[in-house]
Amino acid sequence: MKQQTKNTDKKPVIIKVDKNLDKYLTKDLFKEKVDKANHILKTVGLPKFSK
Amino acid sequence: MKFDKYPVTVGATSMVFEFTSKGIRGNIQKLVVYSETHLHNFYNLGFGDKNEITGEIDDEVVTNNGDSEKVLATVASTLYIFMEKYPDAMVFATGSTKARTRLYRIGISNHLAEIQKDFNVYGLINEHWQPFQKQMEFDAFLVIKKKE
Repeated sequence: MKQQTKNTDKKPVIIKVDKNLDKYLTKDLFKEKVDKANHILKTVGLPKFSK
Repeated sequence: MKFDKYPVTVGATSMVFEFTSKGIRGNIQKLVVYSETHLHNFYNLGFGDKNEITGEIDDEVVTNNGDSEKVLATVASTLYIFMEKYPDAMVFATGSTKARTRLYRIGISNHLAEIQKDFNVYGLINEHWQPFQKQMEFDAFLVIKKKE
């Protein structure tokens, strides 16, 4: 029986690259969250970064 | 992050990822999208379930597939691929509900030491950003890759 191995690396295993997935970038997905991100950018801005 | 993760399919842009959650309710397609905002290099991380019939994406559905930790670990792990291509990206994330935002906070808290090896994490509270701290309620999160 094949034993399943766990992927505990930081990166996920990539099955394939599928350029068709990029169609979702034009579909205005998660609009509420993107709008919220834009609102926070406008009203709060960015953190004070410690470099 | 030392949790098991699902394998992913990635778009050519490294901004869209798809994977299959396999749990007690069967196989559920998940989609992760890094969306551009009005500010260059500032992206929103969104993810949700893909309806196999309609093709619609729902980020409010409660899947209850019994694998939420593995799903969150998979979503978080896509940051490594995304930020390899966009190393200067700032990634904004918030839940679709307070409960879900809390779930994200707990997920970050549980793996904070590991996450902070590679990323700076900020939390938004009372309309102010501050470095992420465990046990604090935040409205949103911002993740930035540490410079090597």
